[in-house]
Amino acid sequence: MGAEDDPSASLKTLAAPVKSAVDKFQLLPAFLKVRGLVKQHIDSFNYFINHDIKKIMKANDRLVCRYDPDLCLRYTNIYVEEPSVDMDFSVEKLTPHLCRLSDRTYAAPIKVDIEYTKGNQANKKPEIKRGLVIGRLPIMLRSCRCVLSGKDEAELAKLGECPLDPGGYFIVKGTEKVILIQEQLSKNRIIIDTDSKGRVTASVTSSTHETKSKTVFFIDKDKIYLQLNQFIKPIPIMVIMRAMGMESDQEIVQMVGRDPRYGTLLLPSLQECASERIYTQQQALEYLDGKVGSANSARSGNRKEGLARAILLDVFLANVPVNQGNFRPKCIYASVMLRRMMDAILNADTFDDKDYVGNKRLELSGQLISLLFEDLFKSMNSFALELLNRAYEHASRSSPLDFVHYIKQDYITNGLEKSIATGNWDVKRFKMHRKGVSQVLSRLSFIGALGSMTRISPQFEKTRKVSGPRALQPSQWGMLCPCDTPEGEACGLTKNLALMTHVTTDEEEGPLISLCHSLGVQDLALLSAEELHAPGSFLVIFNGLILGKHRQPQRFANAMRKLRRSGKIGEFVSIFVNEKQHCVYVASDGGRVCRPLVIADKGISRIKEHHMKELRDGVRSFDDFLRDGLVEYLDVNEENNALIALYEYENDKDDSEKEKDDVKRSSITHIEIEPFTILGVCAGLIPYPHHNQSPRNTYQCAMGKQAMGNIGYNQLSRADTLLYLLVYPQRPLLTTKTIELVGYDKLGGGQNATVAVMSYSGYDIEDAIVMNKSSLDRGFGRCIAMKKYTVVKETYSNGTSDAIVRSNKEKVGSNMQILDDDGIAAPGEIVRNHDVLVNKFTPRNTRDRVSRDIDYKEAPSKYKGPEGETTVIDRVILSSDTNDKLSIKFIVRHTRRPEVGDKFSSRHGQKGVCGTIVQQEDFPFSERGICPDLIMNPHGFPSRMTIGKMIELLGGKAGVSCGRFHYGSAFGEPSGHADKVEDISYTLVKHGFSYSGKDFIYSGITGYPLQAYIFMGPIYYQKLKHMVLDKMHARAKGPRVMLTRQPTEGRSRDGGLRLGEMERDCLIAYGASMMIFERLMLSSDPYQVQVCRQCGLLGYYNHKLKAAFCSMCKNGDNISTMKLPYACKLLFQELQSMNVVPRLKLTEA
Amino acid sequence: MAERVSYQRLPKVRIRELKDDYVKFELRETDVSIANALRRVMLAEVPTLAIDLVEIEVNSSVLNDEFIAHRLGLIPLTSDDAMRMRFSRDCDSCDGDGQCDYCSVEFHLNVRCDSDQTLDVTSADLRSTLPNVCPVDVAHRVLASADPNSYDSSDQRGILIVKLRRGQELRLRAIARKGIGKDHAKWSPAATVTFLYEPQIHINEELMETLTLEEKRAWVESSPTRVFGIDPSTQQVVVVDPEAYTYDQEVIKKSEAMGKPGLVEIYPKEDGFIFTVESTGAIKASQLVINAIEVLRQKLDAVRLQEDDSDFGELSAHLHGGG
Repeated sequence: MGAEDDPSASLKTLAAPVKSAVDKFQLLPAFLKVRGLVKQHIDSFNYFINHDIKKIMKANDRLVCRYDPDLCLRYTNIYVEEPSVDMDFSVEKLTPHLCRLSDRTYAAPIKVDIEYTKGNQANKKPEIKRGLVIGRLPIMLRSCRCVLSGKDEAELAKLGECPLDPGGYFIVKGTEKVILIQEQLSKNRIIIDTDSKGRVTASVTSSTHETKSKTVFFIDKDKIYLQLNQFIKPIPIMVIMRAMGMESDQEIVQMVGRDPRYGTLLLPSLQECASERIYTQQQALEYLDGKVGSANSARSGNRKEGLARAILLDVFLANVPVNQGNFRPKCIYASVMLRRMMDAILNADTFDDKDYVGNKRLELSGQLISLLFEDLFKSMNSFALELLNRAYEHASRSSPLDFVHYIKQDYITNGLEKSIATGNWDVKRFKMHRKGVSQVLSRLSFIGALGSMTRISPQFEKTRKVSGPRALQPSQWGMLCPCDTPEGEACGLTKNLALMTHVTTDEEEGPLISLCHSLGVQDLALLSAEELHAPGSFLVIFNGLILGKHRQPQRFANAMRKLRRSGKIGEFVSIFVNEKQHCVYVASDGGRVCRPLVIADKGISRIKEHHMKELRDGVRSFDDFLRDGLVEYLDVNEENNALIALYEYENDKDDSEKEKDDVKRSSITHIEIEPFTILGVCAGLIPYPHHNQSPRNTYQCAMGKQAMGNIGYNQLSRADTLLYLLVYPQRPLLTTKTIELVGYDKLGGGQNATVAVMSYSGYDIEDAIVMNKSSLDRGFGRCIAMKKYTVVKETYSNGTSDAIVRSNKEKVGSNMQILDDDGIAAPGEIVRNHDVLVNKFTPRNTRDRVSRDIDYKEAPSKYKGPEGETTVIDRVILSSDTNDKLSIKFIVRHTRRPEVGDKFSSRHGQKGVCGTIVQQEDFPFSERGICPDLIMNPHGFPSRMTIGKMIELLGGKAGVSCGRFHYGSAFGEPSGHADKVEDISYTLVKHGFSYSGKDFIYSGITGYPLQAYIFMGPIYYQKLKHMVLDKMHARAKGPRVMLTRQPTEGRSRDGGLRLGEMERDCLIAYGASMMIFERLMLSSDPYQVQVCRQCGLLGYYNHKLKAAFCSMCKNGDNISTMKLPYACKLLFQELQSMNVVPRLKLTEA
Repeated sequence: MAERVSYQRLPKVRIRELKDDYVKFELRETDVSIANALRRVMLAEVPTLAIDLVEIEVNSSVLNDEFIAHRLGLIPLTSDDAMRMRFSRDCDSCDGDGQCDYCSVEFHLNVRCDSDQTLDVTSADLRSTLPNVCPVDVAHRVLASADPNSYDSSDQRGILIVKLRRGQELRLRAIARKGIGKDHAKWSPAATVTFLYEPQIHINEELMETLTLEEKRAWVESSPTRVFGIDPSTQQVVVVDPEAYTYDQEVIKKSEAMGKPGLVEIYPKEDGFIFTVESTGAIKASQLVINAIEVLRQKLDAVRLQEDDSDFGELSAHLHGGG
């Protein structure tokens, strides 16, 4: 339709206010190009490979033999190569897809260059060896070592990879594993909080490469104590100060601050110290030595002296560096902690909020792997050293001792593989035992896969019944998605990143520190205690470390920011002036969340139209925006120094509007790029989410992950255990900008259904939907379920192996019809329940050596599937697994059409099952001949308040009639990324529909017009993975459990349906005793026993003598036969085995 | 049932527009029940041919066998003979196998791509054993090429089944059978069958004259479809197209809003229906209507014959007044 036939478009453009503000939307695709959706994972992993691994190597680079210091090894370099595998003495490059298909690990060799000396050799000249493999590191897809990095679409297709797949996960033993982002309280920062007893505490979790410790100050009965794990009980804080050399009370008070109120608060602590008669450093240390915990003293062999000093040096506030035993920095740090505690007591506002996002750090896969690698590398080295030492002790002097022999590859390879495969992170050094760090990447839908890449796993256990950490934090704005969180126990704890969030990686600290000094930060060492908190000067804290103080904090901050904007220092360095605490926080540590914002000068955006034009023309990239100081990243803390406007307005509107928002335009420092980026990937699919009740969006976030659709362009060559695909997936008629950005329009997860909102037939109550049979015939909701069955041709210890044999197909009624000549089922064959997939024989004897002819027994592997359904063998994959056994994988395909009970949902958290399927001629129709695909009950609306769904319907209807995809991005109306209802109505009227979206409809059954106008139009519907076919279950007779002889449990075992306790109670209350008897005994586990009336124990029936006998009384005189449940008999016998005698007393019934 | 009153009416049909795949006609002097029965029969019970059984020999395309079979089934086939053919389930000559000439038509498809360009396999590649049964678009093209006056449709390649790349092949045998839309939508010959009640519009001329020209114009504009117009010469509001009225009541609301209720009265005619029938091309739209009437008559005959046998089963109770 041309522009002239569609006056709505031209009129709309005319009527729209002149676009004064620059349309910054184009920045988003540019951002995603450089940063991507999973860039944080990839960045973090790249950082590990390129920098961190070298640091770890450098920290542990020398191995020296215990007995001969000349016998040593030094690592000089470490590097990770491209993924490859050793196969039959040759090295073969690995591709991710090959790994997925053949159950391999996508791992690359870690190589080191070493200098080492050999034992027993005359010249001690070190030998140099390059490229020694010390293990294999699973490689993250699309990281810099991955074969996929930097490849274009065609090259990716050649490698069997989907170009829309984001990467950022690992492939371990053929399964795709994501290492979830771990949320943690930030390290090395002072946190003021109250503990469970309501005491004010100041805690620091110190973390350095060597140690991790937690230092807690708390106030108990007005006195301040230190709690440290190394000390058995809380230590008065003043003792600690004394032990660190602060012998003068005056200096301590000066250091905390001269305000008399601080003095008053410190007084009880000072008094306590005095009452303990501790005045000097020596006395304090002696006192502390007595308080050192047994675990520590045992280690150093009961030699307690000097222990306290070592603890103070190494454990107490471990993040504060100590130069040559100079405790001064630690004193200052401790005094700052004390001061902040006092502040919190005097003014409750200064408590830190643990849930504040700025106090959190996100640990990414790179950091987690680096932890693991460091541990494994160290243990590998110590293991190698141990072996060498042992070999040295009883060395046969003939062969030279060679370090290289003792470095075992398996250590690192297996350790990394096992941890990523199971998700159990065990680092003994740090007492870290975390479970569920990695997860299987859910490939149910494209969005589900993306969603699991942005998921943040919580720091708390899920069972805690606290509301604080679950609540939505204002500081989450723009960083974490406010909608995407699961329901139930993990609600609010598991979060997801927003669209534009980036997580920082560590940055070099040294240059930044010297920069701070040259910008006028006064060194601490030069300051007296008194000067520390001099009014007007601010402490400069760099990554939790007090650098010094500065008299003009604002100038300092501005200078730093200027340097950052001009690219002289890293773009992720954050500078935050905290006026309340009189501190300037500079942070360059990894794990902070940040997001890009447009810089504004006095409310005027620095991005002008010509910049955007350059971007559109492709001469400017997002990094150029960053370099030119038009855009910058702000982290959560620095956001507090910024005033961020949603939109830029060219000229101040009339006075009334100025009054409404009481912000001066000139004080605006930043402008959001696009408001819909506060949502994440999953919530970004919802059209008009800002019109919905908020829990509905949350529900949809959970459901979008269960929707069927396309998984990736390589979906048909994948071999997942379970894969659901839609036969005709569509792109939503009502899209959002997020959908286009993430590629959901290319890998859809649903279909546009014409929905009539009306009541029909009564089969639509309780959210059920009525479906049109003709629509189903034509392919609506049709899906393909692909399942993988694996058969392994086992080899046994005695050298025998399974045999796969060609079968005699012609045998009538056999279940071997689908076998090919090689004894393996052929692709394309229709497979039914109990059909043989592989005609396999196993040797009878698998233990002893057998001579030539091996005796085999039949062991066919059979297909188990739903009865009466025709499934087809899609593919048969023969590959050798990691143990070089032949594994045969069958991909079995089943095409399903929707049936009653299948679950569907719109994109607004409105799920429902198919209630009935109705012929098209019975369906209502409009005079244009439009007949809905499904009917939804109007009762779904009032209580759910999903106005977004209604607007989606309107917009979709307008979309199909005018031929343009309509948009419904979140908060998109002012910026034109969401069509307004008014415009939509206008389009509808233009095309002869009612502006309200309601149609005049006739009943298909009678032909009479319906009494009401019906709200009808297209809505994007998702088919969810829950299908009746996979769940329906009934049983009459069937298998029983061996032990109790009761029916088995569960659908997979063809189990019975349990008549539980509550159901039993009902029957008792009703008085249906025979029914209970029948259910609980006859239908379950009836059993006949012989009971001896004399002793009350169970006897037995001797079938030979045809007589019952009591083995207790040694006669058969008083035996009665009775029925009881087998489980009851079992109980009696088990009791007897425990020396409890249950006796039955029988009476005539 | 003492006296038998005859409610028999003789409906009249006036054809307004007639094309191969489109017919618009009026049905007058009858009841909704008849109109709706006709609509329902057209949708669901007029027999056509459609591919029902596919035997795949080679399929190395990206789409799987069921997928292709489903797509083949949905291709409309010219089914002018469908009324004469037998349902394969009651075909005597082949015992319901559905493999004989009385009840089935065989198709073959044998395509292989040997070029570097992707090859579109379309309905045009289906080879029929009967010349008069073929995919609808193919039949169209044959007709079009025979008739030089008709518009050129050579750019159309037929209904796409699957695309093949180099080296891929699709070889199959398909059997088309007679069936009805009730069983599967692929047998439905109708793309659209709908009717509407003819609206009767009475303008209260007296009241209308009290409006100014501006007001009249605003009133006319208030209807989303162009039902009314203003006579340029007399400046009177006239009904331009009553059938454009969608029973939206916008004009009525407008007149109430203007403070002039009763400006116009619109009510549907109880016994006049305007049918719109679009065919998939399997049979001509006109034939579709005729066939539908034929099917409807057969069904009525079946009922009438059953009455003689008084073998109504469950139905008899209803028919004889709650007996």
